[in-house]
Amino acid sequence: MKKILVVDDDIDILTLVKMTLTLNGFETETLSRWEGIDNSIEKFNPDLILLDVSLGGADGREICRRLKSQDDTRDIPVILFSANIEMEKSLENCNAQAFISKPYDLNYFLQTINSNIRTA
Amino acid sequence: MQVFTSVIVLAIFFMAYIFTDIRDYKERKVKSVTSLAHVIGINSVSTILFEDNEAAKDILAGLKNVAPEIVRADILDKHNNFFAGYLRPGAANPDTLLIKYLKEPVFKDTLLFVGDNIMNNDELIGRVSLVVELSELSALKKSKSEMAAILLIAALCISFLIALAVQPYISKRLLYLVNAIKRVGQTGNYDIPIIDNGKDEISVLVRTFNNLMKEVNESQQRKDEFIGIASHELKTPLTSIKGYLDLLNVMEDKEPNKQCVQKALESTHKLEKLIKDLLDVSKIQSGQLQLNISRFNMVELLDETIAAIQMVARTHSITREDDHEDQMISADKEKIEQVLINLLSNAVKYSAPESKVIVSSKNNGTELVIKIRDYGIGVPEDELNQIFGRFYRTKNSSVHISGLGLGLYICRDIILRHKGRIWAEKETKGSSFYFALPVGVYAEM
Repeated sequence: MKKILVVDDDIDILTLVKMTLTLNGFETETLSRWEGIDNSIEKFNPDLILLDVSLGGADGREICRRLKSQDDTRDIPVILFSANIEMEKSLENCNAQAFISKPYDLNYFLQTINSNIRTA
Repeated sequence: MQVFTSVIVLAIFFMAYIFTDIRDYKERKVKSVTSLAHVIGINSVSTILFEDNEAAKDILAGLKNVAPEIVRADILDKHNNFFAGYLRPGAANPDTLLIKYLKEPVFKDTLLFVGDNIMNNDELIGRVSLVVELSELSALKKSKSEMAAILLIAALCISFLIALAVQPYISKRLLYLVNAIKRVGQTGNYDIPIIDNGKDEISVLVRTFNNLMKEVNESQQRKDEFIGIASHELKTPLTSIKGYLDLLNVMEDKEPNKQCVQKALESTHKLEKLIKDLLDVSKIQSGQLQLNISRFNMVELLDETIAAIQMVARTHSITREDDHEDQMISADKEKIEQVLINLLSNAVKYSAPESKVIVSSKNNGTELVIKIRDYGIGVPEDELNQIFGRFYRTKNSSVHISGLGLGLYICRDIILRHKGRIWAEKETKGSSFYFALPVGVYAEM
């Protein structure tokens, strides 16, 4: 079963995304505080990270950039997740694989996750 | 205007100057002639007492050499009868009655009539009357008027030259201000202060304008921040609502539950669109809406968009009626798609189910013109231009269609940013919406 780590400071969104992903056959771990991300990655070893951009007190793009610069986390695909559609422009800048805007279209959401999740 | 004012002021000034000058001249003349009359009176006392007309006449005749401007001189006795007289040779005889009953100096035409009593030991024994020709007065009037006229013309020329020299300086700054105001009006960018180093009223105006713009800019930023935060805050719960409805929609097969879920989903889409429009308008207002130009095939975009709209408007028949396969254009594909979605949704929204919507494109060498023809309720003639305004809703009260009236405003802004045109035309049934984008070299302008 593929594993997805979802990081978002909104509990409602976390609950929704967890339910959606679980129903679609993914093992999902959620995190509402960005500080625990390294710990979670180490323990959970996700095949994809769905990362909110505006986390309380931190910028998801910064976190993504850091993950992509570390050897042990570089290969984990990251999808940025935000209500601000302008964030799509900074994808390349922080080496994220894809962008999903809130509110999302369910088909597009699942499609984007399936096409980016780590396969090996 | 300034020149005109200065001319008026100068003319009044010169008139007052000429008037006082002439008055002074007259006063002086009255004084000198009165003293002359007085002298003649004293010299004539004995002639009156001895009733020696001849001697009196001699005295008066002497005036010919002393004061050649005297036209007529008379000595009257105490009964006001002519005692002796003198008339300058060749002169016309002045008004005798006036001489006889003269009480105080009188100016008549170019003549001055002056009289003086002849006294002997405080007893009135007669009167002297002199009539002087004021030949200098008209000459004086003429010369003063000429001088005033010359000075006036000179002043006029100088003030005109000064105005001519100063005007461009003032006009330039005012025009600069006007252009800046126009620019602000068009771009909505309030952040560029106008530089003016003068110390006059115009720089006060410029400073006031700058302050005003600063305040507008600040409130604009606060509003943008608010819309930014509000739309984010609105989108987060909407994400939950839509997400759960999507899940329900997948899980639920029973009617009418399924239908309920779908209706709720439709409303969610509408709400999503409204929030997006509000955000777009806020971006347009703050000048943040930027184009991401790429080269793409417009015909493909038309077909894709028609297919997408047809999916949600199943009863309408949306078709493309032209045989182009290739219409390459440089534009912001996403934004043009937004315009097409807006125009097509409107065409569907404002027409009855089962009616036709026809899309066509035409390249006239300078522009690619897209036409969207509907057979709906149409747009009243007087609203054709206004419908592209912000928050404009049709006055046609027989239709009530939800929305904020932002769609066409956003379309217009997007097309104008592409240096294109957008307009609507009334048809016998329904209406046609057009937008034109520059192609080829015209797109570079």
